[in-house]
Amino acid sequence: MNQLLRFLIVILPVVVLIFFAKILLIDEDIKFSTFDSKNFPEFQLNDLNGDPVQSESLNGIKILNVWASWCITCLVEHPFLTRLSEQNIQIIGLNYKDSDLKANAWLEKHGNPYLFSIYDPRGDLAFDLGVTGAPESYLIINNQVVSHIQGEMNQRKWNSIFLPLIQQAKQGS
Amino acid sequence: MIGEISHFLSLSAVLILSLVLIFNLFFFFSKVHPNQLTLSMRLFNQACWLVFISFGMYVYLAISDDFSIAYIASHSNSQLPIFYKITSIWSAHEGSMFLWIVFLTAWSILFINSLDNEHPLKKFTLLMLSLIILGFLLFLLLTSNPFERILPFGALEGADINPVLQDPALAIHPPMLYLGYVGFVISFSFITAYLLNGNFELQWEQDIKNWSLVAWIFLTIGIALGSWWAYYELGWGGYWFWDPVENVALMPWLAATAFMHSLFASSKSNVLKTWTMFLGILIFALSLFGAFIVRSGIIDSVHSFANDPERGLYLLSFSGLITLFSLTIFAYRLPVLNSSKLVVTGSKESFLSMNNILMITSIFSIFLGVTYPLIIESINGEKVSIGPPYYNTIFAPLILIAAIFIMISVDALWQRSMPLRTLFFTIAPPIILSLVSIYFIWWTTSVFSILAYVGIFSGLLILFSYLLRTINNLFNKRFINKGSAIAHTGLGLLFFAVSMNSILSYEKNLNLAPGQSISVDQSVKEFSFNDIRVFKASNHDVISAEVSLLQDGQEISLNPQKRKYATRGQITSESSIHTTFFKDTYLTIGDQLDNGSWTFSLKINYFIKWIWFSAALMVLGMLLTIFKKKAS
Repeated sequence: MNQLLRFLIVILPVVVLIFFAKILLIDEDIKFSTFDSKNFPEFQLNDLNGDPVQSESLNGIKILNVWASWCITCLVEHPFLTRLSEQNIQIIGLNYKDSDLKANAWLEKHGNPYLFSIYDPRGDLAFDLGVTGAPESYLIINNQVVSHIQGEMNQRKWNSIFLPLIQQAKQGS
Repeated sequence: MIGEISHFLSLSAVLILSLVLIFNLFFFFSKVHPNQLTLSMRLFNQACWLVFISFGMYVYLAISDDFSIAYIASHSNSQLPIFYKITSIWSAHEGSMFLWIVFLTAWSILFINSLDNEHPLKKFTLLMLSLIILGFLLFLLLTSNPFERILPFGALEGADINPVLQDPALAIHPPMLYLGYVGFVISFSFITAYLLNGNFELQWEQDIKNWSLVAWIFLTIGIALGSWWAYYELGWGGYWFWDPVENVALMPWLAATAFMHSLFASSKSNVLKTWTMFLGILIFALSLFGAFIVRSGIIDSVHSFANDPERGLYLLSFSGLITLFSLTIFAYRLPVLNSSKLVVTGSKESFLSMNNILMITSIFSIFLGVTYPLIIESINGEKVSIGPPYYNTIFAPLILIAAIFIMISVDALWQRSMPLRTLFFTIAPPIILSLVSIYFIWWTTSVFSILAYVGIFSGLLILFSYLLRTINNLFNKRFINKGSAIAHTGLGLLFFAVSMNSILSYEKNLNLAPGQSISVDQSVKEFSFNDIRVFKASNHDVISAEVSLLQDGQEISLNPQKRKYATRGQITSESSIHTTFFKDTYLTIGDQLDNGSWTFSLKINYFIKWIWFSAALMVLGMLLTIFKKKAS
């Protein structure tokens, strides 16, 4: 018993040390790469209906809008998003740190401008995207994050930030 | 020029410390000649003074805006008040590491000079302290040199300190925390010296007791200040986030608290000696682990400094080396050490040992919470996050058991078993009173949460035990350990406040135009957004909202602000807080919407100020313990 204890006192810290050294050395590229490339981060999440989201759904020109049922400003920008969706702008929701019950009830009550909403209750994808809070909107062209708007989305910001980039992309293709 | 001199002094300290080390290793196994120790001591003292002078000059460089030094250029600014020019030194990795080393040196020089030359452990303690200071100085100079110049031309203006760090509480928080962290270098070195020395007849507890108590006080104040700052400055309205870096500060604190308790027991009745030694080593090992976690960037967190694998590897290997060195000798000596007396079941020591086990369990749980996401990520690349629910569920039962043992031990005696009759009369009244209070709380608030009620019950058990004991002692004129009573009352109050806060507090998000007024709920009958003003302050622009509330029949005016800092363009939120005895009304202003209205977040935080009051009680209790020891 005593022998085992003596052995453990030394071995356990060694195991911890080796573990951290391994993370530092081998996983260097994983740990120390922050998201600075503009590729859309990889993720495995479901939408609000519980179906897995395909990454192909981010091809083409898409708006990713970060929203939550607890977010007041989201409600403010909601009519504008609805108008955008009526003009055939494709908007994907990123439901951020919310519960699916509340989120679905919110959509039912106020209307759903989104093609679908990615359900991200812990904010994992949001973390990788660098989301600072809801609402926030990203312009995604062919899986590339091109631009983003913090806070309320409205006609003024749409016209000055997203619209020129969209037109540019359309001309380019 | 002064920068070079300062740099040179630090380098000289490295040289002299290496000399002390080589010199002492050379005579390691020989009997110490008095002159040899005198010489080593002189050299060691000089090296320490070189570090202090070097840091003093660095402070001067920061005050005099020497932006040719890269670190100062990227963390200070000529517009800053002098106070923040100084505190900007510890606002990032290099400078804070420098401060850390200065404190390490300060503790070391004070402690080693308090031992007289005849003390058999002095030689080995000196050896350990020199080794540790040298290792960290090399780390500073090799991997994170704060003296580096921008060549050939220095910057004209500094990039400014991060505005959220321009705050008195935050200026004092890191120094306090570091003083606590590195203060345990004393117990670590002294215990290692004791193990190296091999004469186990020696009494070592008294020599480090007060040093460790003082370090514990600094650590407690440091953690409390950090949480207070997060509460009023970050605008999140919370006080503890179970963030990895908070956790790595909590682990040494728990270990230190366990260490204190078993130190009392082992100096009172000669039990738990080996265990106390192990804890003494563990505290500093956990402090080093904390430094590694924060400074290697291995975990993303609010606190983490820039990512740099090289720094991480150096810190890991050096900390690992000295910790393993100490633990290996401990393991080697273990069979000889197992000679202290056994703990009597039902004595004060026995309950104290039980709580020691609980504290180790909590340390282990936190350690698991911090490392588990890393383990999972390194196995299958999946990201998991471990948050408050994990810690709350783990801590609730631990706290309850701890509270029960504290309650029993109030009337327990040292070295003697407690009669069952006494046990019954000790525990029955607090349990009944707590249950009645719980029922009363449930009846008035009509909220139920099992975890929170476990916390409230635990807190009340401790509070009532000490209250009854105090009343009893007033009438019977019996002895009461004031320090212990106050510190434990603080702990009980902490459990109570945290749990009450978690069930009663709530948050409302509002959206109002200037001049508009709405009713929020039954407590806040009227919320009027009177005006919004924009003005300029010394180094930032301010948007200030004037809000008046009709809360519980009382008129309150609040003005939350947003500040835009000129140099960095960073925007911060200044929340406005109105405090009453039971609750804080906490208001933050959000964004302006295009229709001209503003978003507000109104938080009602119950019992939140009690949390820091209870930390203050714990510190007060510990202070009384130190002064009582001095007097006797």
